Amino acid sequence: MVFELGEENSDLSGAGGCEPCQVDESEGDSGAESVEVSRRGFLKLAGFGAAVGATVGVSGGCDADLGLVAKNPSGGGGWLPDQYNASGNFPVQVRGRVPIDPTNPSIKRDDQKCILCGQCVEVCSKVETVMHNYELPLIDDIPCVCCGQCTLWCPTGAISEVDDTHLLMRAIEDPNLHVVIQTAPSTRVALGEEFGLPVGTNVEGCQVAALNRIGVDKIFDTNFSADLTIMEEGTELVKRITGEIKTPLPQLTSCCPGWVKFCEYFYPDLIPHLSSAKSPMTMLGAMIKTYYAEKSNIDPKKIFSVAIMPCTAKKFEAIRPEMNHSGIKNGDPTIRDIDLVLTTRELAKLIKRVGLDFVNLPPMKYDSLLSEYSGAGAIFGVTGGVMEAAVRTAYHLLAGEPPKSLLNLEPVRGLAGVKEAKLNIPNVGDVKIAVVSGLHNSHKILERIRNGSGDWHFVEFMACPGGCISGGGQPRSAVPPSDAVRSARINSLYSADEKSTIRLSHENHEIKTIYKDYLGKPNGELPHELLHTHYTDRSKHLTAKIKKTGSEEK
Amino acid sequence: MSKGVLVNLTKCIGCGGCTVACKMYNDNKWVDDRSPSSGENAQLADENWTVVKQFKLFKNDDTQVWRFVKHQCLHCQSPSCVSACFARAFQKTDEGAVVYFPDNCVGCRYCMIACPFKVPKFEWQTPIPVVTKCVMCYGRLKDGKSPACVSVCPEGVMKFGERESLLREAKETIANDSRYVKHIYGEEEAGGTSWIYISDVPFEKIGFNTNVVKKPLPSYTSFYMKCTPIFGAIWVIILTAFYFITKRRNTIKKQSAELSYKKTTENNSDQNQNLPENKIVDKKIE
Ligand code: SF4
Ligand code: SF4
Ligand code: SF4
Ligand code: SF4
Repeated sequence: MVFELGEENSDLSGAGGCEPCQVDESEGDSGAESVEVSRRGFLKLAGFGAAVGATVGVSGGCDADLGLVAKNPSGGGGWLPDQYNASGNFPVQVRGRVPIDPTNPSIKRDDQKCILCGQCVEVCSKVETVMHNYELPLIDDIPCVCCGQCTLWCPTGAISEVDDTHLLMRAIEDPNLHVVIQTAPSTRVALGEEFGLPVGTNVEGCQVAALNRIGVDKIFDTNFSADLTIMEEGTELVKRITGEIKTPLPQLTSCCPGWVKFCEYFYPDLIPHLSSAKSPMTMLGAMIKTYYAEKSNIDPKKIFSVAIMPCTAKKFEAIRPEMNHSGIKNGDPTIRDIDLVLTTRELAKLIKRVGLDFVNLPPMKYDSLLSEYSGAGAIFGVTGGVMEAAVRTAYHLLAGEPPKSLLNLEPVRGLAGVKEAKLNIPNVGDVKIAVVSGLHNSHKILERIRNGSGDWHFVEFMACPGGCISGGGQPRSAVPPSDAVRSARINSLYSADEKSTIRLSHENHEIKTIYKDYLGKPNGELPHELLHTHYTDRSKHLTAKIKKTGSEEK
Repeated sequence: MSKGVLVNLTKCIGCGGCTVACKMYNDNKWVDDRSPSSGENAQLADENWTVVKQFKLFKNDDTQVWRFVKHQCLHCQSPSCVSACFARAFQKTDEGAVVYFPDNCVGCRYCMIACPFKVPKFEWQTPIPVVTKCVMCYGRLKDGKSPACVSVCPEGVMKFGERESLLREAKETIANDSRYVKHIYGEEEAGGTSWIYISDVPFEKIGFNTNVVKKPLPSYTSFYMKCTPIFGAIWVIILTAFYFITKRRNTIKKQSAELSYKKTTENNSDQNQNLPENKIVDKKIE
């Protein structure tokens, strides 16, 4: 308190402090006694007033005290992106984020990094037409085709691939496991970007060398099994065209697991159109644990089969229950064709963690047996590449002569979302083909197939715009991915094709050998056991929105 | 004029964006290691003012369905927390939000016991803990903005507006669509809440307390709690009265002592009390 009751008045009068006291003092001769009583009385009065005031305030005597008694209501200490800060209850155009099931094998999100920018929703709903393409309520699934495009669009890296790098290291350290790795066509033209090389640089040899240094036992090339896929898928196409098998036309490609899952969700009625051929990754997986295991006398149970892929959906494909064809062949269904999938980004992470001077590694070659590839296999990672490769071999099978005029199939090249071409093939006539990349481009084609107005023979689908070279597991060299990056990688693969001496899958020597020594005829009995699969109708897990045909594209 | 939010649970896809928005806007920490903010184990906590909880349940026959339930303070029309709090740390605003003033909070945690939805949480981890809960983004509400969680939802699960018109809309929706449960949670629960819910699966199966009484809960407690301040006031008055009584008694005592003194010294000159003499007498007494 300001007042010291026992003290005299000199300081008070000087300070000109409190009125009642001064008045009392000015009375002069009333003396010390009178001053003291008066001060005390004032204090009592003030105390009483305060008590009453507090009581009134606390009991809610007047609501105006909301701002007076307590100034700081809790909350509001942070921020929101500006799109959410307009007054009024108007809908925000770009908002929210995609749902991700915690058990999603391909992608995960670190909530602490999410800033609700809405980019993942943009790509998922507009480019891949997954989110917002089903009716609500949900049934028993959070629909996701695992394409991983959202990982390429997320500006903060909140969404990323499920990181499985530790599983590879654990397998390498396990003396009982024989680690066999394969690398996809597209990883070699993107991995270098993580180490400062120009976009699209082909680092095939360094990639092999890096994997070798990391300590894997065998390194094969998925390009080889891309050729193998062409043998099986091309043969199947020819059989559909000639009417030898009764499955419907057009045949739809099945190497993109994102597209396959999309088809199973939204167009289950078109599943019979899907080629029964497995993807290059799972074909090679099956060959590693059968053909390679036999050849090198290794127990398939001890083989740990790893795939380096540009794709997050491959993580999903690898765990599809039916992908144990090598297991069934070996009499142990628990043996998987592929034990682990790492994306290009994960491999880059691993190389950096190990501390390899990637760009200066002396290039190495893939191990022989399952690694030779043709130019056709090399371009599998490009939108239109599977089509072009298949056409080369199908032409040969149908016309009985090399497809000279079709070696550079320009109409199916480039970044357009839908590409179409008509080819004249001797003995058959016109063969109509279409190529689609980016799932939003698929609806127009699929609706026409559905209602019978599409007369294509063969249609290629890739979930990611531009194909696997811009897959959801590729380095984030532009966020969101740009066509400049896509084109550079595409050109890099086409030039690999042009440089190769063998450009037709069926001329690949190791392919010839594997059919002669092991598989027999394409589409034969053993290939069916190991290299073909079936699909699952997933439509009961969601309610697909009815698409208005033609409304998608101008 | 009271605002509200209509939550249509059939539309929620469980993205958890609303929980992120809440943390961002209110600067709350992530405490997923002890209290996840989404998933099957999601639970409200001091730092989780809203959570999205996943339920895997069987609908009608044996078809499994997943449902996601966004949970936060329901902003009762007659909030028990407000009436339980004698420190007026909780206050119901005209806009409908039940806000909280940590400066007023004495830490008694009556609110936590009073809330029928177990919403207010205590900062057990903090040295100077206070209670926390969703305040409906009152700072945004005042500016005519919807709460943070509402604005970010990609599926439009939540609609912000006048409670009365939202209630009308909810009634229409459940009347015209046979899939909905014929109940609006929050229309009458605890006397009505500002946040109201509609759903296609029974509320009791997705974690809602369906035993909440319809009567405004504060009507049970408010009489007693409202008495607390009045009781305080009465106490002050009584004590003051005691003080004056005591003082008066002392004065009378003094005066009668004086009187008897005068009587004995000055022979019954009681009408002639003069101040100087009194002063002297008083001083002597002291
Ligand atoms: S992985 Fe593909 S389908 Fe899944 S959420 Fe991301 S963009 Fe959508
Ligand atoms: S893109 Fe990334 S940061 Fe943006 S909303 Fe989606 S998850 Fe969050
Ligand atoms: S839900 Fe609980 S905390 Fe929220 S207003 Fe009602 S009583 Fe208060
Ligand atoms: S933001 Fe919307 S859809 Fe996502 S969890 Fe919250 S309420 Fe559900």
